[in-house]
Amino acid sequence: MFIQQLINGLTLGAIYSLIALGYTLVYGILRLINFAHSEVLMLGAFIGLGVLTFFPAAFQAGPLGLTTVFVLSMLGSGVLNMFIEKCAYRPLRHTLSLAPLISAIGISIILQNAVFLWITNQSQTFPEIVVPTNFSIGPATLNSLQLVILFTSLVLMVLLHLFIQKTKTGKAMRACADDLEAAALMGIDSNQIIGITFLVGGALGGAAGVLNGMYYGSIKYNLGFLPGVKAFTAAVLGGIGNIQGAVLGGFILGILEVAAAGYLPNGSEWKDVVAFVILIFVLLIRPTGILGEKIAEKV
Amino acid sequence: MALAMGLGLSGCGQKAQVLRIAVAMPLTGDMGTEGQGVRRAVELAVAEINESKKFPFPVEARAFDDRADPKEAVNVANLIISDPQMIAVVGHYNSGCSIPASQVYSRAGLAMVSPASTNPKLTQQQLESSWNGPKSVFRVVPTDDVQGSYAAEFIYRKLKFKRFAVVHDKTPYGQGLAEQFQKRFVEIGGQVLSFDGISVGERDFKALLTRIKSLSPEGLYFGGLYTEAGLLIKQAKELGLKARFFSGDGTKTPTLFDVAGEAADGAYLTITGIPVEYLPTAKGFIQKYQKKFPGMELKPFDHFGYEATNIILETLAKILPPPPQNPLTSVPTLRAALIEKLRKTKYSGLLGLTTFDEKGDTLNKIITMTQARFKDRSFPPLQ
Repeated sequence: MFIQQLINGLTLGAIYSLIALGYTLVYGILRLINFAHSEVLMLGAFIGLGVLTFFPAAFQAGPLGLTTVFVLSMLGSGVLNMFIEKCAYRPLRHTLSLAPLISAIGISIILQNAVFLWITNQSQTFPEIVVPTNFSIGPATLNSLQLVILFTSLVLMVLLHLFIQKTKTGKAMRACADDLEAAALMGIDSNQIIGITFLVGGALGGAAGVLNGMYYGSIKYNLGFLPGVKAFTAAVLGGIGNIQGAVLGGFILGILEVAAAGYLPNGSEWKDVVAFVILIFVLLIRPTGILGEKIAEKV
Repeated sequence: MALAMGLGLSGCGQKAQVLRIAVAMPLTGDMGTEGQGVRRAVELAVAEINESKKFPFPVEARAFDDRADPKEAVNVANLIISDPQMIAVVGHYNSGCSIPASQVYSRAGLAMVSPASTNPKLTQQQLESSWNGPKSVFRVVPTDDVQGSYAAEFIYRKLKFKRFAVVHDKTPYGQGLAEQFQKRFVEIGGQVLSFDGISVGERDFKALLTRIKSLSPEGLYFGGLYTEAGLLIKQAKELGLKARFFSGDGTKTPTLFDVAGEAADGAYLTITGIPVEYLPTAKGFIQKYQKKFPGMELKPFDHFGYEATNIILETLAKILPPPPQNPLTSVPTLRAALIEKLRKTKYSGLLGLTTFDEKGDTLNKIITMTQARFKDRSFPPLQ
């Protein structure tokens, strides 16, 4: 049972981590909590469903088909996230710090209702592009879907790491995260870098949305809300603004939840309480999160 | 806006020459398809009565969306009672909505007949000393104590399963049903290995199911609605949990197959009454329904909605004052008379004979065990 629960926890954690990266990337640069991120995630799942509905050829194409679905949904949700930034956050960037936050909540509500009213308010079956086959690991079973989720998220995390550490754009992103104004003075086009950050964060969210749809087999308009809140928590737990922290926080939260639901009596009712109590304790000891650095005073 | 106009008109002293029946159902969201079905059935019953010219005035069905949300249900209930032409309510769907809304209706002296809510508390609360209004709540479906006990006995005596895990969704409907099942199952000698709650909206139940798997139950009983049921069924299969799946009327809808896919095949679900397609008395209803709404799939509670509306209309016909008087001049008296007369209902319709006990529960308490069949998305009854 332990191995099985570990697998459950890691799969859940992998999805949380991907979403948490989207929050943390944006926060790192703008000190803004992008509340619309959970809707970007949901729309990513819907784009994936759309791709599969209109190009059923993707089913026959095996791994290539799967990759196409991911690339298109990531592109779609990345561009959407960029668009949100341009319309809803950029004009408010130099105003009161609460204004972009309210704008983010507004965008979240608008997007959720747009899907609710214009697309569907029902659960939609997410087609099985990966047919689940079970592999036994001792007494536990690992299915091909869980493998795809773990593999995809790890690949995306490694790619993100390489992008941020090794490329020039990545360097510019880090510079902007350190100090937006100083970076601009050094000749970095900060608007462009912020746009790219939203693109990357949104793309990761879109991938998480498709994974979520594949894993649970159905999607609907409000699917982003709960994982969004959890992933945001994971980002804070790991140290918001810190990329490794988001990944670590995601996995810790996933495993904590599974452990609480799996081992405590009546745990499935209490798992969120348990997870959040631990979160509060961690934050009491380390207010900036596990890997969080001291944030320089910014006013 | 239409409502505001209605209010405006009556405010000027001109009585609108119409009586209204409210259909309070979830019309959007996950339970929306079920609610829309009931709404169509009520509209059908109302259209029939208008065609028959039984009343000297038209009757109108007006739909209200409670979104399966108890808070919204109370808002909707307040809207409904503020319409002076409203004579009765067919609703709500979820017990969690019906219970708070029924208190609003009672205060306004408005009769409510639920075609779907099965939690015993809905009618029982009227016996409490804190209940101030008239006993205005009725329902045409048998309650969860009947349904849960029936499932327990069917499982223990017919299927001979003894070891069960129980899960519920922490709503008045789901938890109530699961508790009734557990109570009866233990009484007759069964063993309940675990009793857990999950949250509506949650999508990952693998941790819980892994723990349940380690207890190796023969069956899993779930009290809740189809979305969570579908996810549980699907994830149980993925984890290789062999236990058979059992649940109640909240999960018996073709949409279950959209969520669970092929894994739903073979799930045992109890429903209230007899499936409408097996009811000889419902043939006429099905034909008329399909003629009025071509291409629409019949939903599980539509015939209950139709029956509830007909009971209200039939009873209304009995209490109308003789012709020279305009029955629409004093709707409040009419409302009170309707509640009193409903109590003495003896209505013979497609569900068979409906009579109410002193709480307003139907004495027509038939439960059927059905088994989900994936290939034609149907739920044939078991004998």
